[in-house]
Amino acid sequence: MMKKSVALLSGVLMASLLFTACSNGGTDNSSSSAEKGTAQAQQSPALNSLFKAPDLTQLPATAQQRTDTIIMALTDPAGAFTPYFHQSGYDGNVSSLLYAPLVTTDDKGLPAPNLAESWDLSKDQRTYTFHLHKDLKFSDGSPLTADDVAFTWTILHDKSYDNDSLIPTLGIVGGAEYKAGKASTVSGIKVIDPQTISVTIAKPNATALLTLGSDVLSKAYYGKDYKFGELEYIKKLHQTPLGNGPYVLTKFIPGQEVRFTANENYFKGAPKTKNFIYKTSEGDTWQYVETGEIDFASFSATQENINKLKSLGFVDILPYTPSTYSFLQANLEHEALKDKKVRQAIAYGLDRQSIYVDANQGAGEIANIPAAPISWAYTTEGINPYAYSAEKANQLLDEAGWVAGADGIREKDGQKLTLHYLGSKSPQTDIFIAVATENFKAIGVDFQPEVFADFNSLASKVEGGDYDLASFSTPMLTDPSDGLVQFLDGEIKGYDNPEFVKLYNEALATNDIEQRKKIYGDIFRLLNDDLPVIFTNYKKVVYAYNGRIQDLTVSPFNGIASSVPQWTLK
Amino acid sequence: MSSYLMKRLGYTLFILLAASLLIFCLYALTPGDFITGNIKLSPERKAELRELYGLNKPLLERYVIWMNNAFHGNFGYSLDKQQPVLKLFNQYVWNSFLLAIVSTFLTWLIAVIIGVIAAYKQYSWFDTFVMVGIFAAMSIPSFFIGLFLIKILAVDFKWLPPGGMLTTGSNATGVAYLKEVIHHMTLPVIVMTLLGVGSLTRYFRSNMIDVIQQDYIRTARAKGLSERKVLFTHALRNALLPAITLVGFELPALFGGSLIIERIFNWPGIGQLYMQSFTVRDYPLLMGFTMFIAVLTVIGTLLSDILYHVADPRVKI
Repeated sequence: MMKKSVALLSGVLMASLLFTACSNGGTDNSSSSAEKGTAQAQQSPALNSLFKAPDLTQLPATAQQRTDTIIMALTDPAGAFTPYFHQSGYDGNVSSLLYAPLVTTDDKGLPAPNLAESWDLSKDQRTYTFHLHKDLKFSDGSPLTADDVAFTWTILHDKSYDNDSLIPTLGIVGGAEYKAGKASTVSGIKVIDPQTISVTIAKPNATALLTLGSDVLSKAYYGKDYKFGELEYIKKLHQTPLGNGPYVLTKFIPGQEVRFTANENYFKGAPKTKNFIYKTSEGDTWQYVETGEIDFASFSATQENINKLKSLGFVDILPYTPSTYSFLQANLEHEALKDKKVRQAIAYGLDRQSIYVDANQGAGEIANIPAAPISWAYTTEGINPYAYSAEKANQLLDEAGWVAGADGIREKDGQKLTLHYLGSKSPQTDIFIAVATENFKAIGVDFQPEVFADFNSLASKVEGGDYDLASFSTPMLTDPSDGLVQFLDGEIKGYDNPEFVKLYNEALATNDIEQRKKIYGDIFRLLNDDLPVIFTNYKKVVYAYNGRIQDLTVSPFNGIASSVPQWTLK
Repeated sequence: MSSYLMKRLGYTLFILLAASLLIFCLYALTPGDFITGNIKLSPERKAELRELYGLNKPLLERYVIWMNNAFHGNFGYSLDKQQPVLKLFNQYVWNSFLLAIVSTFLTWLIAVIIGVIAAYKQYSWFDTFVMVGIFAAMSIPSFFIGLFLIKILAVDFKWLPPGGMLTTGSNATGVAYLKEVIHHMTLPVIVMTLLGVGSLTRYFRSNMIDVIQQDYIRTARAKGLSERKVLFTHALRNALLPAITLVGFELPALFGGSLIIERIFNWPGIGQLYMQSFTVRDYPLLMGFTMFIAVLTVIGTLLSDILYHVADPRVKI
C-alpha cells in the first residue's frame, strides 16, 4: 500500500503534465507571470536543496486565513478507502492517512518499527514474529490486537479476493489450502497472545517483512459479516473506514474533497495540524497554488516550473527524486533484439542526455540500472554509463553482422533493421521521437514510432508482441527486488538468464543488508551489461508548498503519510 | 396518436437493443482491458483476475450477462471505484445537470433576443457586430477561453474562484451554500454560454428572417398592430417552431456532462467520471453511462416529435 500511495503522488504530477500537453492555453497564460521570475533566476543552477519562500507576505489571503487545516491536491480519489481493496491508487493515498502499517520504512527504504515495536525472524528465516505495541486502538477506541492482524492476512487469501496485495503471493504456509476451501484457517498464521503474532512462509523472502508489515483491518468491524468466498460485503464499508492512522475521515464529497480530522487515538499522539483535506483536482493545479486554495502540490522539476514557483514568493520548493526508473522495453522475441550487441548499440546510439535531461530542462537524470539513486542498493561502481556514441553503436552493429544496405539502412540475411517503437502521448514521447529519429538514422536503423493516446491500448499491444521498443516506467519501488521482478516473472518475455535468477534468489534469501547490497551490485552490473531492457531515465520532481508549513518532510518510500502528523502551520 | 406511440416505442426498444450490442462490442474490443493497465500484477495473477471478473469469457456471453443483469435493474459495480454504478451516476450527474440547465437556459434566452433583433435589423451595424462577435466566440477553443478567464478573473483579479464547486473545507449550508455554488459555477456557465450561443443565434436569426418575409406578417402590420406585437407574437412564435426539434437533442446534453469544461474548472461532473472510466476500461460504468445517454437520446427525439405536434396542429403524427 505504501508503494502505491507514493506512486500516485507522482501520478498527480504526471496527470498535470499530460494536461499541460493538451492545453496550450495553459502554457500561454502562465508565461506572463513566469517572466518576472526568469529574469533573476535564468542562470540559477538546478535546485538541489530546499528553497525557502523569500516573501511570505505574498501568501494569498485564502491561505493566510487557514490556521488548522492543510489542503493538498489529489487527482481523483474514488471512494474505496479500505486498504487492500481499492483499485485506484488515489484511494491508497487516502487510506494511507487512515491506516497505519505494522512496519514502515526509513529514508533509505529499510524496515522500521511502527505498530509492531519489534519483530523476530527464526533461524531458518521463514517465521516472522511481530510484537505489537501495547494499547493500540482503532479510531473508535476499540483495541487493535493480533487477532485483527490475523484476520487481515486471512481474508486476503479468500478465493474471492480480487485485488493486487502481494501478501497472498508470499506463500504463507496453509494459504493455498485456505484459498481452495480445504482449511478453515491459514495454518501458518499463529496468534500467540494479544500482542504477538507469528507467520510462517514457505521459503525465505527478504521482501516479506515489508509486505506483511502493512495495514491492519479491524476484525470486529470488517469481519462481522465475513463468510468464506464472499467478500462482496466489504464494498459497503469502503466509505465508512475504521482505521488506526493519524487521521479519521470526516467527509467524502465525490469528485470534490476528502476531509480528515485528527485521530485522538493515534498511537503516536494526535497529529499537530487538526484538519487535512485532499482536494480532487483533475488536471492543472497551478491556479490553486497561485490562489492559495491548496497548500501542497508537485511539479516536474523543469527550470521553467522552478522559476515560476520561485517567482510566487510564498512557496517552499523541495526537490525530490521518486523511487522509480523508466526504460525502453525491447521485444526479446524478435531476432534482431535477441542479440545483446544490438541492445547495447541502441543504448549507445540514443542520445539520452539530450532526450531526458536537456530537453526536459533538467527534470531528469540518466538511468543505467534498475534502481533509483535514492535506493540503499544504488551503485555506480562498475556500471557502464553508455555515454552517447554513434561510433560505438555502429561498431557494435557491425560486429553483430548488420551491414548498411543501399539506402543506408542496415541489413542482415535480407532483413532490414527496423525498430517499431510504441509510446504514450506525452511531451516526453514527442521529444524522444524527434531526437531518436535522428539518432537511429545515424546508425542505420529504420525507426518507426507509433504513439498511443491511452496506456491500456499501448500495454495490450505490447502484450500481443507487436512491437520492438516500448516506453515504460515502473511503479514506486521500495525494495530493490521490486525493480527486478519484471525480469523474472515473465513480464519481460524472452529474458532467461540463469545467472540472474540465481543472484535474485540469493539476494532475497538473506536479511543481511550489507550482503544484499553486495549481491544487488552484482545484479545491477549483470543487467547493465545484458540490457534486457534499455534503461533510460529517472524523473525529477519538486514539491511546492505554502511557506507557512513547518517540519515538512516527504519520505521517498512512504510519501507524505508518515510525516503529515508532524507538519505544523506557523 | 396512441397507435403511433406504440409503434414508436417498439422501434425505440429495438434501437436501444441494437445500440447496446454495438456499444458493448466497441468497448470490449478496444485494445486493453481493466487488468492490462495494472503494471504491478504478474502475468499469472492477471489471468486469475480475468477469470474472476469474467473478462476471459466470449464477447457475446459477456454481453448477455450484462444485459440480463441490466434488465433486473442491476448495472453492477464500477471496477475502478468499487461502488454501484447507479450510485455513482447519482453522485455526479446532478452536478453536470446544474451547469447544463443554467447555461442552456441562458444560451436560449440570449440567442432568441439577439437573433430576433439581428433579424429585424438585418445588415444594420448591430447585426454585423453581433455576427462578428458570434463567429469569434464560436471559433475560440473552449479550453483556451476557459483557462484565459481563470487567469484573468480568478488568478489576477481574484473575483471568482478558479475551479471546483465549493470553497475547499467549507461547511456552508442553506443560502450560504447556494451562494457558494453560484459563485463557483459563474465561470463555467459563462464559458459554456459563450460557446453555445453562436450557432443558436444564427439559427434563430435565419428563421426569423424567413418568417418576417411571410405574407401573414405583412397582413398583421397592415391590420395596424404594433411592431412589438407583430414581432414577438406573430413572427417569433412561428420562428421558434423548428427549434422544437432542437429541444429534443438538448436532453442528452443536459445529463451528458461536458468533458473539457468540467476538467478545466474541476467540476465534479459525469463527463470527468466517464473519461476516467474510459482510460481504465471500467466496463460496467462505461456501459451504464453510454446506455443512459442512448436512452435519453431516444426519449429526446420522441419528445420533440410529440411537442411538434402539440405546437403545430398541422403536423400529423
